[in-house]
Amino acid sequence: MSMNEHTLKFFGEELGQLKAEVARMGGVAEAQVADAIEAIARRDVALAEDVVGRDRRLDGMQHDIEKKAIRIISLRQPVAQDLRRTVSALKMSSILERTGDYAKNIAKRGLIIADAEPLSALTRSIERMGRLVSGRLKDALDAYTNAELDRAMDVWRNDEEVDEHYNSLFRELLTYMIGDPRMINACAHLLFVAKNLERIGDYATNIAEIVHYEVTGEEIVGDRPKWSGVSGPVEPEL
Amino acid sequence: MLPQVSTLPNPQSPAADQGLDERGRVLTWLKSPLGVALLAAVLLGVLAAAGRADPQWSAGAALLVLALGVGAGWRLERRSSATAAFRLRPDDPPTPPPDEVQTYVLALELAPNPVLLVSAEDADDIAGRRVVFANAEARELLRIEREGALLVTALRDPDLLEAIDEALFGHIPQVLSYEARGAQERFWRVWTKPLPPNARHARLALVIMRDETDTRRNERMRADFLANASHELRTPLASLTGFIETLRGHARDDATARERFLLIMSRQAERMARLIDDLLSLSRIELNEHIRPGGHCDLSLAVADVLDALAPQIAVKHVRLELDLVSSGAAEIVGDRDQIVQVVQNLLDNAVKYAPDGGVVRVSVTRDLTLESATASRPDDVRQIAPGGGRMPLLTPARNGAARYALLRVDDGGPGMAREHLPRLTERFYRVEGQKSGERSGTGLGLAIVKHIVNRHMGGFYVESAPDHGAAFSIYLPMTSRSMQLAEAGPRVAASHEPRAA
Repeated sequence: MSMNEHTLKFFGEELGQLKAEVARMGGVAEAQVADAIEAIARRDVALAEDVVGRDRRLDGMQHDIEKKAIRIISLRQPVAQDLRRTVSALKMSSILERTGDYAKNIAKRGLIIADAEPLSALTRSIERMGRLVSGRLKDALDAYTNAELDRAMDVWRNDEEVDEHYNSLFRELLTYMIGDPRMINACAHLLFVAKNLERIGDYATNIAEIVHYEVTGEEIVGDRPKWSGVSGPVEPEL
Repeated sequence: MLPQVSTLPNPQSPAADQGLDERGRVLTWLKSPLGVALLAAVLLGVLAAAGRADPQWSAGAALLVLALGVGAGWRLERRSSATAAFRLRPDDPPTPPPDEVQTYVLALELAPNPVLLVSAEDADDIAGRRVVFANAEARELLRIEREGALLVTALRDPDLLEAIDEALFGHIPQVLSYEARGAQERFWRVWTKPLPPNARHARLALVIMRDETDTRRNERMRADFLANASHELRTPLASLTGFIETLRGHARDDATARERFLLIMSRQAERMARLIDDLLSLSRIELNEHIRPGGHCDLSLAVADVLDALAPQIAVKHVRLELDLVSSGAAEIVGDRDQIVQVVQNLLDNAVKYAPDGGVVRVSVTRDLTLESATASRPDDVRQIAPGGGRMPLLTPARNGAARYALLRVDDGGPGMAREHLPRLTERFYRVEGQKSGERSGTGLGLAIVKHIVNRHMGGFYVESAPDHGAAFSIYLPMTSRSMQLAEAGPRVAASHEPRAA
């Protein structure tokens, strides 16, 4: 009996440890995204190089979390909420790793853009969108670390804001490219930066979905609020 | 017992040895049964005072005070009186007297800077780093809900975590800056310092934060202001210079042309003055954006006041107003009255400006809404289904479960805007194509000002629009508890203002 209690307590600690490691990984991913945006906004080559170099750390963290989660599943065979917490940690680590990849990609494009003529108006728009996305990532991670359903649902509901920023930036970039073909190269890179930011925003929404699943055991039902009609860039279905 | 005050180590005595010696004694004292007894007494004393402080934090706070006492014991000068807090005599344990500990705990609790005490076990064990004490500021800032919370749930920034680790495991103090992102950006200077171990925790670190948002904002505002002012004033200035040259040149003797040019010039000068006013006002608002407003303001009354002031413009355009306001006192919100009036003024001013001649502007104030109902779309709103239309949040507040909101909605019945413009409306100087600033005479800062003021007031802001179906701007702000307690709003003021004679 006492043996059993001991095992249970120890198991709880293991799960706590897993969550702590995901939270720390989230902090690194958050910083990578923020630094990548700043590198673009300030044309900071050294910072962009740092971001590219630090991406390995996230890969290592994901690997560790995966190993621990798989160990828990195979040795402890968790059920109900314990299983959900373990699976959520697995999902989170893979989302955060990909978030880091997008940050790295943004930083790499920052290195290229820094060589071109400054496009202050455009980089300001990118910075605005970047701040919005950073804020959503922060809110989603706050919701995850404190298992706050309300906060997660707020992130989930306000997804449209990022999409609309992306659509608006898309149009702005097209206008610039049509107006001055010499800018096409830099603008194309900024377009990918905007797309990467939009993806990171989607990941924040995914994190909110994971929090909902972890806390309630159910998927979110219903549709996210979306605009009626289509006027943004049309994307091919995957 | 003679008062023997000495703040500097005596050059004749081996000061370093003495210090070490005392430290050794402190540690033995902490480990000795007497120490444990004293610790218990201290904890009991603090818990007895739990009427003032949150009990679950008091234990951690007492430990922090003890730890600080141990640290301070080496340094603080010896005092003669019996109430001296710290003593250097070897047989006196260097700790504040138990009956004073609660005062020290309270002092830390009330300190304006966030203070945290972090403990750790193994270096590898990230879940072993716990917040064993956090004062009121730190608990609010980092949303720490219980003693012993995981450090990573409060702070995730990798640089900061690294600095705390260096204090815990390398005994290295550090100073660094930390930026809290999100809707309300804050900049912090953070000190991390190692603390000597105590009976319960083998490794301890102190984290102290200082808010440097003001300084950072000041720097950024100055740069932004200069950039914006120089850029935006260049165009009207160029036109003024052009007219002056024309007046000196071929228009010198043409009285009609001179009159016309002078009229245009005076309009340009007025616009420049308005631009500078708006820029200055935006800078001031942004500087205080992270400081919560005190005071209260009635939204319905603010609308009525602004409408009175706008009467001449309303009359000139023959705009009809449809009002649906809750009675005064029913929609009282927490806020700076001047700033709220400025928000209402900017929204109503825009609505009158963009409404067609003889059109209808609808203004409504509703109360006691949850976040969900304040942001809900109206199913009967044609803009939800019109092509290229919809609803766009421009600012969404952090959720505050207890808050009830009062909502102001201003619908201009004007030309409306396509959706691609909506997310950018609060950008400084953003212009919707086809709406020339000259004929509208705006500065391009009005909605930016609205957004920053509403953000300061923990409120939200959104727009609903569709081409040819007008634009409706809505702001919602947390109500005062006094106003929330009003069960029923009084009679609504539903009125239709007819334009007065121009």
